[in-house]
Amino acid sequence: MMVPVRCFTCGNVVGEHWEEFDERAKQGEEDPQEVLDELGVDRFCCRRMLVSHTDLVDVVSPYQ
Amino acid sequence: MTEAYDVEFVERGDRNIRFLVRGVTPAFANGIRRAMVADVPTMAIDEVRFIENSSVMFDEQLALRLGLVPLTTPPEGEFAEDDVVTLSIDVEGPGTAYSGDLVTSDDLVRPADENVPIIKLKDGQRLEAEADAVLDRGKDHAKHQGGVAVGYRHLQRVTVGEDISEFEEQEAQIIRGVIEDDGELVLTSEFDHDLSERYPGKEVHVEDVPGAFVFHVETDGSFDATDLVTRAVDTIDSRAADLEEAVQL
Repeated sequence: MMVPVRCFTCGNVVGEHWEEFDERAKQGEEDPQEVLDELGVDRFCCRRMLVSHTDLVDVVSPYQ
Repeated sequence: MTEAYDVEFVERGDRNIRFLVRGVTPAFANGIRRAMVADVPTMAIDEVRFIENSSVMFDEQLALRLGLVPLTTPPEGEFAEDDVVTLSIDVEGPGTAYSGDLVTSDDLVRPADENVPIIKLKDGQRLEAEADAVLDRGKDHAKHQGGVAVGYRHLQRVTVGEDISEFEEQEAQIIRGVIEDDGELVLTSEFDHDLSERYPGKEVHVEDVPGAFVFHVETDGSFDATDLVTRAVDTIDSRAADLEEAVQL
């Protein structure tokens, strides 16, 4: 639904990088690898949190 | 009883440090690591009272998300274990509620990261809640864990040997961590973790330096990384004192 606040594995806060990552790599054209490097998300456990996430709030919101 | 340890910084940032400690046993090094992960008290939201929640997520889910937001932890001694700091949040859609929208009653305890999305709110949806932050340890809940990915490695000493023979292909020799080369500390990332890159055409021997550990410490923003280490050592110290008192005849 919403992006997880922390990485499940190591506990690093990844939620704060979601919006920029989404804008630049998912909606935009930039290479996800480079964007993650720039954001300082180094470990692969944290990287998969952002790469594999899909925001579903907009899909769910009509059904209260 | 106090023993001096030789500590040397390799990298030093606010949330990220790497340092070398000499003259400790592996058991003690691991003790420090475990104390950093599980025994340093940090602030985190523990109880949430919802006044209005018309978002698409349940109260419990939002309470978990609020709990995971790192809060700055005041210096040791400012707060006791059962003190409570109240934070409140009031956001109306359309828009997103961020951790930065949390309004704190005590400036010492505020969200360390302001950009964590809590919940996206649509037109007419509203989130109003009051939350109590308490001091607790990583042992009890991961949200109270100040250290993130804390670890250590042996310091490795590199000795350069003979030239390799002219017709031999040099193989990549991958190591990670920090190497000691003639007393100089070098991060392996400086030569792409490959010793054949740093010493082309040479035979290289690597050995662990006994009793020397390179710690890599990262925090979630609750406090500085150096702070985390000193607090971890303090908890070991106080627990050792407690034990000594408990076993006294």
